[in-house]
Amino acid sequence: MTERKSAKLNQQKQLLQHHQNGHLPPFKLAKLLDPDASWDKDQLGDVLHWTRQAFGLLCGLIWGAIPLVGGVWFLLFVSVSTGIIYAYYALVLKVDEEEFGGHGALLQEGLFASISLFLLAWILVCSLAHF
Amino acid sequence: MASALFSGLRYSDSLTVVGISFCTAVVCEAISWLLIYRTASYKSLKSTIDKTSKKLETMKTTDVNSASANLLKKTSKTKKIDRVETSLKESSRDLSMFKFKSGGVVALVLFMVFGLLNSLFEGKPVAKIPFVPIKLVQKMSHRGLAGDDMTDCSMAFLYLLCSISIRTNLQKFLGFSPPRGAAGAGLFPMPDPKSS
Repeated sequence: MTERKSAKLNQQKQLLQHHQNGHLPPFKLAKLLDPDASWDKDQLGDVLHWTRQAFGLLCGLIWGAIPLVGGVWFLLFVSVSTGIIYAYYALVLKVDEEEFGGHGALLQEGLFASISLFLLAWILVCSLAHF
Repeated sequence: MASALFSGLRYSDSLTVVGISFCTAVVCEAISWLLIYRTASYKSLKSTIDKTSKKLETMKTTDVNSASANLLKKTSKTKKIDRVETSLKESSRDLSMFKFKSGGVVALVLFMVFGLLNSLFEGKPVAKIPFVPIKLVQKMSHRGLAGDDMTDCSMAFLYLLCSISIRTNLQKFLGFSPPRGAAGAGLFPMPDPKSS
């Protein structure tokens, strides 16, 4: 566990060095599920942002199609979306949140935009399909 | 055939609002690129903020991990960190000012589009909200609509949702989002207001 952490820290320092020099290593899709990969702050933030957007759009489309009606489904979306993001970075990627500004910084990536996108999709599909 | 299908839908106006919002977002980003993002000043400021925030991160990480308890070294390190933080704040402020000056044109476009949509859809519900919004949101979602059905959605609310979701993601996709190190990229990052 300590060896993995120090190896990750060294990779992180290298990444930071690359970024300061203006050269970012190419992003590989395999990294998305690799718990041993080290992350640049911007890259991780972008991945979490787009994950939230995709989940928000998907939920909005499904819930509008069924349709699910009521404010409780909105609250459920926010909770589930947050839970999925937390599980992804804490359990799948196993990142140390302190290196990225804490849980707050990671959980708020793309939150507002995903809520808007979810509401937009939900409202549109519900209105067009069921009225 | 498609237009006949859409015009038969009760809330087909919502698609018009979304379509106009999307086109407006693209036009606004194009104007922003022309007036702001392609300029040397913007690129230089953004690069400075990126480098300064990375430098600050490295300094703070090294400071935390430092095993040395030498008080004199730590004081000079703290002073260095403060200097870098001040420099970062100044660059962020300069970036905001720069964008603000050039953002007037985009603000005018948005104002005109909102006026156009308002004239087209005032007093008319364009969609149905699948829940009753809280009182605060109802002021926007039921704006200008007759009746007591709070699930009726006004153009203004739908336009707001479109603006936030489409423009934020478009800016992100095109790489025009403000740098993370810039001050004010807070809890709820809206589409970059200085480019609107």
